[in-house]
Amino acid sequence: MDKYYYGKFGGRYVPESLINTLDELEAAFEAAKIDEEFQKELAYYLKDYVGRETPLYLAERLSKKYGTKIYLKREDLNHTGAHKINNVIGQILLAKRMGKKKVIAETGAGQHGVATATGAALFNMECTVYMGEEDVQRQALNVFRMEMLGAKVVSVKSGSNTLKDATNEAIRTWAKTAEDTFYVIGSAVGPYPYPKMVKEFQSIISKEAKVQFKEKEGRLPDTVIACVGGGSNSIGMFAEFLEEKEVELIGVEAAGLGIDTRKHASAMALGKPGTLHGMRSYLLQDADGNVELAHSISAGLDYPGVGPEHAYLRDSKRVEYVSITDAEAMEALKELCELEGIIPAIESAHALAYAFKKATTMKPEQAMIVCLSGRGDKDVHTVSNYFSGKGYLN
Amino acid sequence: MNRIEERLKELAKQNKKALITYMTAGLPSLEGCKDIIMAQDEAGTDIIELGVPFSDPVADGPVIQEASYEAIQLGTNVTKVFQIVSEVRKDSQIPIVFMLYYNTILYYGVSEFVDKCIEVGVDGLIIPDLPYEEQGEINEFLGKEEAPILIQLVSPVSKQRIPTLLRDARGFVYCVSSMGVTGQSATFHKDIITYLEEVKKESKIPVMMGFGIRSAKDVAPMKNIIDGAIVGSHFIKIMKEANYDLNSIKEYCSIFKEELN
Repeated sequence: MDKYYYGKFGGRYVPESLINTLDELEAAFEAAKIDEEFQKELAYYLKDYVGRETPLYLAERLSKKYGTKIYLKREDLNHTGAHKINNVIGQILLAKRMGKKKVIAETGAGQHGVATATGAALFNMECTVYMGEEDVQRQALNVFRMEMLGAKVVSVKSGSNTLKDATNEAIRTWAKTAEDTFYVIGSAVGPYPYPKMVKEFQSIISKEAKVQFKEKEGRLPDTVIACVGGGSNSIGMFAEFLEEKEVELIGVEAAGLGIDTRKHASAMALGKPGTLHGMRSYLLQDADGNVELAHSISAGLDYPGVGPEHAYLRDSKRVEYVSITDAEAMEALKELCELEGIIPAIESAHALAYAFKKATTMKPEQAMIVCLSGRGDKDVHTVSNYFSGKGYLN
Repeated sequence: MNRIEERLKELAKQNKKALITYMTAGLPSLEGCKDIIMAQDEAGTDIIELGVPFSDPVADGPVIQEASYEAIQLGTNVTKVFQIVSEVRKDSQIPIVFMLYYNTILYYGVSEFVDKCIEVGVDGLIIPDLPYEEQGEINEFLGKEEAPILIQLVSPVSKQRIPTLLRDARGFVYCVSSMGVTGQSATFHKDIITYLEEVKKESKIPVMMGFGIRSAKDVAPMKNIIDGAIVGSHFIKIMKEANYDLNSIKEYCSIFKEELN
């Protein structure tokens, strides 16, 4: 198989001016992966700075209510509040190794932007974050956090004013400045080697979870569930279980107002293969082959495409992809608050909502792991508007 | 013979340089688009680069992004752009190159797309997000007779890749003048001259320079190296400012062509 591809997905659909950059990045990444010094440094920052390992928590009240063991992989307890920092530390250490002093990033919910701004502050790099205008509004708190951390936030006003457009702008800037700038991509998307790199740095989630689960239950979990926007927490959560064929893997996309409404973000349920952001993957498109706007209450899932490895895992049927509406996710969010005292990110609440449905079909002696990819602090405004009936940006 | 190759051969014989312009299809309208192409044919433009609008033009700067967006709002799609070419071909043999993103071709179907290009008379394709390594799929269909030429783009950082990129290149080589996107006025790459010389030395076909060019004066320093200039964002701006007045468009093209030679 062509190393750039996952089945027929992936590739490097970028301008000629970026090919050398991608080649250099690939070489640096492959060298770092087998370099003990790099791995030691990465492990050090993940432990002492990010706060890993994160707990695998048995949610007792939820388990009781739904009749099966529900474990939560607590990525929400990471420094900066989500799994995004795992990948950022990896990529920024790589940038440092490559001698780059400037980093750029795109962000949807703002979690990846905050993580990148954090990493840039830690390693004294200049950081610019591209964010869709709509997301700047609905994630104002994260914009403020990025600015406090010394990053410059560029509000992108083109197309749908969300993550897709922020990514376009980041790619444009990168094409201009690749000679001295490192592009930190936050999701398992983009041209090769990004999907591979993001998976590598996020796979710490499942490496830990597999060991932790074994310690607690003495076996493998029956089911593993994670939400999918571009697919970074999910690819990290699935990575170590992909070869364990008896473990059922489920990715949860955002159905927005419902997948029959055209107001959703379920690229795998209804997308067609296409090319965007340097990769070939499932993509929401209109009748003219233009990229269709995604819709979700969750800024982090509001993306019309999906990482190429997920597209491959869907076609090869290793992972099942389902979707959850805004309303279902918000109910699950509330339930986790009330039953477990944890406020999840709206993104993660999509995984929870499906987990609750799934749990009712499972036996008491069975067990699942749900990736709680982030905490909900950034979402309290959206949540408050939603439950008070004030509406929300979708 | 392909219209691009034919035209460039003629120019070489006359020892003249080529003017290539870029316009977004569908602006100001489908009919207006044909009128502009015909006017340029008269004014001396050698090759028309016709942009098929796409929702996510990552290789383009703000001017072409906006034009693309406007054209989509007016209902322009690839089927309608094929109609424009079909109409033009009733009256003109000016070489036409499509500039479009690969998703548009994938969505249409690669084989069907190439067949349609042959049917209506599209002479070349510029696909900015389809680098050399990803061209295998479309190349399977471009061997057909009368099929459009896939134009190769070269960038200031291509360096050791140049021989590979040029090995089977046909028509002309598109030298991108700067890093990044279209329409950054005359801020050429710092090593522009060395880079163009490198490409010229390696190339068996004409070498054109594009990105950030506003007038023939902008390319005066490299006039002896290149075989022509491509003007895009600035041309779009000029047309819009002149409210798509055909005489102004003609004047701009004929002056450019004259000053270039």
